[in-house]
Amino acid sequence: MTVVKLRDVTRVHGDVHALKGVSLDVARGELVAVMGPSGSGKSTLLNVAGGLDRPTSGSVTIGGTDLAAVKDLAALRRREVGFVFQDLNLIPSLTAAENVMLPRELDGVRAGRARTEALEALTEVGVREIADRFPEELSGGQRQRVAIARALAGERRLLLADEPTGALDTATGDEIMRLLRERCDAGGAVLLVTHEPRYAAWADRVVYLRDGEIVDAAAVRLESAR
Amino acid sequence: MSIRHGLLALLSKGPRYGYQLRVEFEASTGATWPLNIGQVYTTLSRMERDSLVAPGGTDDQGRAVYTITEAGREELGRWFSTPVDQAGRPRDELAIKLAMAVAMGSVDVQAVILAQRMAAMRTLQDLTRAKRTASGGLAERLVLDSLIFKAEAEQRWLDHCEAVLREKHS
Repeated sequence: MTVVKLRDVTRVHGDVHALKGVSLDVARGELVAVMGPSGSGKSTLLNVAGGLDRPTSGSVTIGGTDLAAVKDLAALRRREVGFVFQDLNLIPSLTAAENVMLPRELDGVRAGRARTEALEALTEVGVREIADRFPEELSGGQRQRVAIARALAGERRLLLADEPTGALDTATGDEIMRLLRERCDAGGAVLLVTHEPRYAAWADRVVYLRDGEIVDAAAVRLESAR
Repeated sequence: MSIRHGLLALLSKGPRYGYQLRVEFEASTGATWPLNIGQVYTTLSRMERDSLVAPGGTDDQGRAVYTITEAGREELGRWFSTPVDQAGRPRDELAIKLAMAVAMGSVDVQAVILAQRMAAMRTLQDLTRAKRTASGGLAERLVLDSLIFKAEAEQRWLDHCEAVLREKHS
């Protein structure tokens, strides 16, 4: 089952063609990595795939819904898509659990239920014990786990990650990738942008982007080992 | 790869017979470098000639048991305290291939890079999968990490080659 589908997507910023006709599917259980030099359109691709940005032409479908027909993209995003960035955007004055709860409460979920969901998400990413600590009291790896928990809370199936290992040492980066991998194996879908081959290698499929175009994708598809 | 020193390291933990050395060697390197039993015995007999090990009779099933000698322990200590010589590695076929492709001018260098990158990524995916499913403990994990870092270095170098070539052509 396809979770996100891009068809002939272009994105033009002024006279810069950031994406030039990209087609890409990510299915349930699949981890897809996007690689490419800076300026190749990786982050634009991620933003378009997650409904943070609209394509200039072409279509983006999330969970069967064509985004062109959606007026309130923010609501769809909050329901379907989790984002994890290198820059974690955790709010320093809130505890780990409160950070995870916040987007759900903004979405109208009651505090009690949001906290239950937050604790479940923190448990899933292996940091239940730091729920009531503040970001500055956590290690880099723990903070990234909290950010992932925030992206997962509320059973969102699609996780978009932009250099989630960027600020971490390689051993901690591997742990984060293991977590994303397990999320996929449990039926999630992850689209990962990275410039590091070692993290891209955790993916089922690796897509190379050059000047807004996919130069090769299927060739690196993993023979279904799972 | 120094099979000789690997075997000495195992023998420093106590006397072993050949088959046992092979099994332990493979276990501690995550089966990354499979050894055949012939290699083990050839290496043992050379080390016996060099007085690094001594045959110490047989076990209860009649298999020859080897023991590390004092000279063997010194050699092992020297091995651990000496950095591995990078210059001793064989010539790098990939670097030569790319250099030739660039020098010839008639070869599509980008295509050579792309093909190599695909192969390198598949290797990296295989190694990562092996690491995910590895159950052999810390030693195995570190050996796989070593191979992952090397495969990654090749990818980075290919990215670098591609960027340099693009710059020259634009």
